[in-house]
Amino acid sequence: MPLKKVKKNTATELSLEWILHVKNYRLTLDKKYCVNCQICSLACPKEAIIIDKQKEKQDINKLDIDLKKCNFCGICDIICPFGAFKITQNGEKSISVVEKKSFPRLIRNIKINSSACPKECTDCESSCPLELIKISKKNFDGKHINYIDKMSKNQKNRIKIEINIKKEHCPTCRVCEFKCGSGLIKVQKNIEGKILINQEKCPSECRKCVDACPIPEALDISKDLKKVQVNELFCVYCGACKVACPVDKALVLKRTKIYHTPASSGAWNKALKKLTSQSDAIKEFKAKGSMKAKEMVSRKFSFDEVIR
Amino acid sequence: MKNPDIQKQLSEEQLRIGVFICHCGLNIAGTLDIKELVEYSKTIPDVVFVKENRYTCADPGQEEIRKGIKDQRLNRVVVAACSPRMHEATFRRAVSEAGLNPFLYEMANIREFASWCHPNNPKKATEKAKDIIRIAVAKARLLRPLEIIEVPVTNKALIIGGGIAGMNSALDLAEMGFKVYLLEKGESIGGHMAALDKTFPTLDCSICIEGPKMVDVSRHPNIEIIANADLIKIEGYVGNFKAKIRKNPRFVIQEKCTGCGECKDACPIEYPNEWDCELGTRKAISLPFDQAVPLIYTINRDYCIECYKCIEACGAREAINFDQEPEEIVIDVGAIIVSTGFDVYLPYDMPLIGYGKYSNVITSMEFERLILAAGPTYGKVIRSSDGKKPSAIAFIQCVGSRDKHKYPYCSNFCCMYTLKHVVQLKEKYKEDIDIYVFYMDMRSPGKGYEEFYDRAREKGVIFIRGRVSRIDEDPRTKNLIIISEDSALGQPIEVEVEMAVLATASIPKKGSDELARILNITRGSNGFFMESHPKLKPMDAPTDGVFFAGACQGLKDIPYSVSQGSGAASRAATVISKSKWKIEPIITVIDEKRCKNVTSKCGICVDRCPYGAIRVEESQPARVIEASCHGCGTCVAECPHDAITQMHFTDEQIMAQIRAALANNPENKILAFLCNWCSYAGADLAGTSRFEYPTSVRALRVMCSGRVDRDFILEAFRLGAGMVIVAACHLPYDCHYINGNWKMKTRMDALASMLKKLGISPERFRVEYVSAAEGAHYANLIKEVDNQMLALGKDKIQAENQKIHPVLERILERKKQK
Repeated sequence: MPLKKVKKNTATELSLEWILHVKNYRLTLDKKYCVNCQICSLACPKEAIIIDKQKEKQDINKLDIDLKKCNFCGICDIICPFGAFKITQNGEKSISVVEKKSFPRLIRNIKINSSACPKECTDCESSCPLELIKISKKNFDGKHINYIDKMSKNQKNRIKIEINIKKEHCPTCRVCEFKCGSGLIKVQKNIEGKILINQEKCPSECRKCVDACPIPEALDISKDLKKVQVNELFCVYCGACKVACPVDKALVLKRTKIYHTPASSGAWNKALKKLTSQSDAIKEFKAKGSMKAKEMVSRKFSFDEVIR
Repeated sequence: MKNPDIQKQLSEEQLRIGVFICHCGLNIAGTLDIKELVEYSKTIPDVVFVKENRYTCADPGQEEIRKGIKDQRLNRVVVAACSPRMHEATFRRAVSEAGLNPFLYEMANIREFASWCHPNNPKKATEKAKDIIRIAVAKARLLRPLEIIEVPVTNKALIIGGGIAGMNSALDLAEMGFKVYLLEKGESIGGHMAALDKTFPTLDCSICIEGPKMVDVSRHPNIEIIANADLIKIEGYVGNFKAKIRKNPRFVIQEKCTGCGECKDACPIEYPNEWDCELGTRKAISLPFDQAVPLIYTINRDYCIECYKCIEACGAREAINFDQEPEEIVIDVGAIIVSTGFDVYLPYDMPLIGYGKYSNVITSMEFERLILAAGPTYGKVIRSSDGKKPSAIAFIQCVGSRDKHKYPYCSNFCCMYTLKHVVQLKEKYKEDIDIYVFYMDMRSPGKGYEEFYDRAREKGVIFIRGRVSRIDEDPRTKNLIIISEDSALGQPIEVEVEMAVLATASIPKKGSDELARILNITRGSNGFFMESHPKLKPMDAPTDGVFFAGACQGLKDIPYSVSQGSGAASRAATVISKSKWKIEPIITVIDEKRCKNVTSKCGICVDRCPYGAIRVEESQPARVIEASCHGCGTCVAECPHDAITQMHFTDEQIMAQIRAALANNPENKILAFLCNWCSYAGADLAGTSRFEYPTSVRALRVMCSGRVDRDFILEAFRLGAGMVIVAACHLPYDCHYINGNWKMKTRMDALASMLKKLGISPERFRVEYVSAAEGAHYANLIKEVDNQMLALGKDKIQAENQKIHPVLERILERKKQK
C-alpha cells in the first residue's frame, strides 16, 4: 500500500508514523514524562520539534513535531533526560543512529547498594519527584512480601530488598541520593551547567518556572523574600523553566557539559553546540582531540619499541 | 532590402497574376462550385490566368503551376486550396522551380476555411471562397521578392529525458557522429523501464535488457550524460539553441565515487524510496537502484543528519563533499529532442476505490515493485496488512482511464501489463492463487500481444467483463470485496479477494507545463505535447528544431518508444547534419529615414521585442539583428512612427487584405485576425474536424497577434465592418514569440476602451484566445459572435459606423500623411 504518514495527538501521547508496505516507523512522545523542556527541540538535527511557548501546560503539551521534517533518526529518544520518546521500527524498539554509532548515548550512572538498605526504609521511593523508584521486598526463596509489620526480627533480617529504578526516565537530579538516610545511593549528574535568576527582571507573584520545573527541590519560592530560588544541587538543566519564563533574560540557563558514551559524529557535534554553547563544545573537541593524539602517540611508540 | 532596383522594376512592371483553384478531390469540389470560382477569378483585376486542378499538390498539379508561370509569364501566383500550414512550402518550391521568387506566391485557404466548415451551406461557402481568393490576390499584388537567409548550425543535440526513448535517440545520434547531451532530471537514466520487473510479451527481465543499453550510453564517446540536473532556460532558434542547465549537487564528487556502497552501509537514516513507489526505504546516501548510470551516490539533505559516518566509511577515497554547490552551465546545440516520459496517476481522489484507505489496494506499478526480485519484498507478493501472500487477487482495469470525469483517453499499455502480471503470478504460484481481471476491453494490438492474451486465459485466469463500481473492505481480515457488473451475466456481482491491483491511468509528467514554457511548445488537450501534425509529423514540434520521442508526446509501449526514439534522432539529424540552416526571410526592417531615434531618443522597439533582436544607439536609427529576429512583427505594430516594416506582412499588404475582405456588405462580416501558430491552426482544426460555423467570418493570417496594428482595427471599422476579432495564443505562456500576445493585449485593451467611448458596442471588438487544439472553441466563438452581430442588427451597426467614420478618417489620414 502507498506510504501513509500519520500524526496523532491525544491527551496522553503524540505519535508520528510512517506506514510503508513492508516497514513501520513510529515515534511516540509519552506526555506523562514530557516536561516541556527544550532539549529535544535543540538537539533535533532537522529542527522538526517546535515548542510553542504561548501554550499553557495544563492540558495541552507545548511540543509539536513536524511530520514533514522528522526522519525518525532517534536522537530525541536518546537525548531526552526524562525518556519521554520512544522510536520503534516494525514495533521493536530500535534506534538506527545508535546501531550505526552516529550518535552517543547519555550516561546515567546510578548506583545503589541495596544489600545494605534498612528493611523498612522507603526514603528513596518516596523522595523521587518522578516516582521512578520501586522498592520490592522478597524473602529468601524469591516471593514478594507485602506486609512486614507482623514479621519477627530474624525474618526481617533475611528479607532481600530489590530497588527497581526506571533508568531511562531518570534525569539524574540526585534527590534520592541526598534523601537516602543511609547514604547508599550514588548518582552522577549527566548534564552539568549553570542557572541564574535575574531577581530584578523576575516578576513578583509569577510562579511559571516553579510550576514548570519537574523537580520541586530544584526551583522554589523562598517564603520570606517571595522570590524564586534555585538549588543547583538538584537542577537537571533541562530548561523547562526557561521555556515557561515570560520575561526575556530573567532566567539564564547554560549547559556546560554532557556526559555521553564515546562518539565521533558530525550530528553529535552540532547537537552539542546547540545544547551547550560554541565555547563549551570546542572544549570537548579539544579534549577529545588530545585524547586521540595521546592514543596515536602511545600506539606509535609502543610499536617502535616492539620493532627495537 | 537587398535590391532596391529590382523592387522599383517590379512595381513598374505590369502585374500578371495566376490563380490555380484546387478541387482537392471532393474535399473542396464537393461543396464549392468550382466553375463559379473560376469565372469569378477571371474578373479580378490583374488576374491573367485561371486554372482548376483536381489535386494541385500532386505532381501533375505542380507541373501545371510551373507550366503556367513559364507560358503565361506570370509574376504572381495564388493557389486556392488547403491551409498554408499544410502546403505553403510545397507550392513555394514549385514556384521557385519555375524560376519565380518563392515569396511571390500567396495561398487562399478555401478548404479548411470554406468547404470543410460550411458543408451544409454551399452557396454561402462559395461566396466566402470568392472573398478569400480576392483577399489573396489583393495581397499578392503587393508581394515583393525575398531571399532566404542562411545561418550556421551547431552540430550537436540536446536530449531532455533519459528514458528508453531518449537513450535510443542518444545512441543513434552518437553513432551518426554527432555530439549529444543527455539531460536527466533524476539521479540515474533509465526511466520507468528500469523500475519494471519483466516486459511483455517476451517476459524478458526489464533491467537485464535495459542495463547494457544504459552502459552503452555511458561509454559512448559522443554522449555526455548530465544527470541530476534541471533545464533552466532555452534561447535561440533552430540550429542555434543555447541551453542553460543547472546541475544539482549530489554532495558526492562524481570523479571520485567508485560506487562501492560502504557509505550506504554506514548511514543510519532511511527514508521512503520514491523509486520503489514508497513501498520501501533507501538510505540518506544511496543509489536509486543498483544498476544506476551514472553509478554515483547521492545524499538527500532533507533527511541527512550530517553525522558524517559516510565520510568516515569512504575514507581515503574522499568522495563526499558536503559543500557542493549547484553548478550552472550553458551548452550550444542545434536541435532538441524532448523525451520526458509520463507519470502514474495515484487515485487518492477516487474514494470508492479505497486507494490510500484500504491497506491491500495497490497500483500496478507498486505490484511491479513487489514482484521484482530486487524490490522491497525480494519478489514476494505479500499483503501490507499481514505480510502474507494473498490467495485471491483482483486486477482492475481502466482506473481513471477512459473516464469522462478523470482522463478520457485510453492509457495504451495497461491491458498488456496486467496480462503480464497475471501470467507471472500464475507461473510463480500456480494453483495457489485465484486471479480475477475486471476489464472493459482487452486491448492487445501489437505483435505477439493477442497470443499473450491467449496464454493468460489458458493459465486459468478469470476475466470478468464489467466496470468495478466500488471496493469495500472487511475490517477484520482486511480483505476486499469488489463490486462490479458482470456483463456476461447481465448482473452485478461481488467477489471477495485478498488484494486488489489497480491499473491506473498514465498521465503527462509533472513539470510538462514548465518545460512547455521553456521550449515554447504547446500541450494538447490531454496534456501531452502537441506534435506538428498527428498523422504526418508525429515527432516534430510546431517549433522548428524541437522533436519528440516517447510517451511525452502520447502514451506508447516500449517497442513504439524505441522506434520513435530512433525516428526523432533521424529528424534531429536533418537539422544538425547541415552546415547551414535556411531561415525564412519574414523578418523586420527599419526605415532609417523614418526612425525617430535619430532626432529624439525613442527605443520603444528595443523594449518591445521579445527576443531583444533590435539594438539602438544614441542618435542612430535602430538596427534589427537579422539572425535573432523571429518575425513576430510586434515591433512593427508598436512603433508609433511607422518606421518598421515586416517582410511579407507589410502594413500595405494587410490593409489591402482588409479592404478586399470588407468590399461587399461589410456590416454582415466578422473580420478576424488569426495568429499563425495557435488561432489560425485552431481555425484549421475546426475545418478539419468539420465543425460547422456561420459563413460571415473572413480570417486574415499574421504570424503573431502582436503584429496586429491598432490601425488595422480602425481601418476595418472605417470600412464599415460588423464585428472584429483578434485571436491569439493563450496567456500567459503559449505565445510562440514569447509574449507577443501580451503586447497585443495591452494595445487592444486601450483601443477597446477608446472604441467604446466613441460609441462602438463593446461586443463588436473582441480579443480572444484560441489554441491550436481548440477547433471546437473557435467554431463556438464564431457562432457566438455571429449571433451577437445578428442581435445588434445591420441598422444599428451601420449607425454606429457612420457616427465614428469622421473620427477614423481623421486618424488614418494623419497616418497616411506621415
